[in-house]
Amino acid sequence: MLLKTVFVRLLTTAITLFGVAVVVFTLVRVAPGNPISMMLPPGATEEDIAALTALYGFDKSLPHQFMIWIGGVIQGDFGTSITLRQPVDELVLGRLPATLELSLMALLIALALGGLVAVIGARKRSTGTEVGLDLTTGAVLSIPDFLWGLIFVLLFGVLWPVLSISGRVDPRLDIDFTTNFYFFEGLLRGRWDVVSSTFSHMLMPAMSLALPLAAMIAQLLKQNLKEVLNQDYTTLARVRGFSETSVILREALQNAALPTLALVGVQFTFLIGGTVIVERLFAYEGLGNMAIDAVINRDLPLIQGIVLLFAALFTVINLLVDLSYTFLNPRLRNG
Amino acid sequence: MNNLHAKTLDIINLNVTLPNGHRLLRDVSLSLEPGEVRALVGESGAGKSMIGKAVLGILPTGISISQGEILLEGTHLNALTPATRRKTIAQTSALIPQDPLTALNPVRKIGPQITDPLTRIHGWTKARALARTRELLDRVHIRNPDRVLNSYPHELSGGMRQRILIAAAFAPSPRLIVADEPTTALDVTVQKEILRLIRELQQETGTGVLFVTHDMGVVAKISQKVTVLFGGRVVEDAPTRDIFENPEHAYTRALIAATPTPNASIEPFRPVPPALIAELHREIQADDDRFSKRAQP
Repeated sequence: MLLKTVFVRLLTTAITLFGVAVVVFTLVRVAPGNPISMMLPPGATEEDIAALTALYGFDKSLPHQFMIWIGGVIQGDFGTSITLRQPVDELVLGRLPATLELSLMALLIALALGGLVAVIGARKRSTGTEVGLDLTTGAVLSIPDFLWGLIFVLLFGVLWPVLSISGRVDPRLDIDFTTNFYFFEGLLRGRWDVVSSTFSHMLMPAMSLALPLAAMIAQLLKQNLKEVLNQDYTTLARVRGFSETSVILREALQNAALPTLALVGVQFTFLIGGTVIVERLFAYEGLGNMAIDAVINRDLPLIQGIVLLFAALFTVINLLVDLSYTFLNPRLRNG
Repeated sequence: MNNLHAKTLDIINLNVTLPNGHRLLRDVSLSLEPGEVRALVGESGAGKSMIGKAVLGILPTGISISQGEILLEGTHLNALTPATRRKTIAQTSALIPQDPLTALNPVRKIGPQITDPLTRIHGWTKARALARTRELLDRVHIRNPDRVLNSYPHELSGGMRQRILIAAAFAPSPRLIVADEPTTALDVTVQKEILRLIRELQQETGTGVLFVTHDMGVVAKISQKVTVLFGGRVVEDAPTRDIFENPEHAYTRALIAATPTPNASIEPFRPVPPALIAELHREIQADDDRFSKRAQP
């Protein structure tokens, strides 16, 4: 039963990723602009262009090019970046930890902030406090992540410069870590200088990404909490002497979290998509920032590698959401 | 507790009101002696459940007590702060809910759902709470209690869940239990068993019970006193025997007549006469007029 589920899951993942590969491969080649003309100086002869085109294989037919690329991908060879002259997988995996740390930090902030506001809103339901919180979350939701980024830069980078507005870590720090997870490895190694530096760099972009999601979680979770708080088992808990806060936290929260979780899963993938612009804004050395450079330079192998990795990341997140569903809902276990 | 001679429950001129001023309970008075079972009967909307909710402090949002007193074991509930009132109610009372399928938290195991109030509200030790829970599960005929305590609600049948809820209600030895149509959601064969369990446990423990029902057949089986309600007003209040043998009010007579009997198939169903309903509504109107005059002299 479980084995079958895993098998089906892996199969659909493989099909999805293949589809993504086909689409991105075709799109970057059909789109105007080509990498060869970007690499040659003005005044290059027809022969120069032809030679370079042949060198990178762009003279072959599209299906042929695709077969060569996908054949390499299956063997773990994602090609070489045209502009950076390094293997794509090394480049991409080197940047992935930065983006993962940023996204996870943003997710944690969104869950904590959104959860807190939802619980307070449910606790103070049908009062002015709830109305005030609704208005606030509505306003927060209507401002997109990159605009939050600009607002934060203005507030904590310019007016009251307490946070770093550019980069991922203080370049003066000596970091000889085995992974590129500076924040997590710093925590494990007890390198508090690295932790605090990455945190100070990460906080503003993470907040920018987190706020819209936090507002969404706050609204939906509060709504779900209010529904659950009308259920008979919460009434029974009140009769048994539990305070409203304790009823919310002990009886209602887990039940209300279930429908909220589906949204968080979907929205988290949007959040990761949002890293592309926000990383750019804060010159944060992550995948998104690299993606923009790759697109500007028409670095086709690199674009393909990044998109594939994002796609793989999304399927993993979907899987994790499904797993947490079974964890939170006993009715789905051994069902 | 503070008064040994106090009635378990004393409700005096209770008025429960919607935000727009419409009264759901109209000058309801009733009392419950220790160990007594009082049935609250009436059709849907008569306010019978509302009385239980008012006593237990779980009136829906917006609905409030506008006038009147509720004394629980001699304590005036209105005089207490919300937090103390909650504790007082929890220390003395319990609820057996109507629908066992929605009254247990679907994501929590049965065990902690019963023992949590005992340890966290009543301050018992874990061992004592668990022992008492086992004792009561055994009392409501649940075999292998350990398996049940480790189960989630969806793994148990409706009748089993209602027996668990009865055990949970009696576990802290309350002085008052509000049973809010506890058999309505169950099929007929299970109903009898549940009714018998409530009566047995009630007699053993000497707990007073407010038994909300619309089923006159159930009334005859379980209660010593009956309060008949219509439109939030007490129509008749009498010992059960008198209600059945010598009903005073025409509405009570009509209710009894409308109760299906084993011969129902040969007897035509006799609903409450419309003329009587109209008469009752006129009385309510007159009562409301007097009430509003009283409110604004």
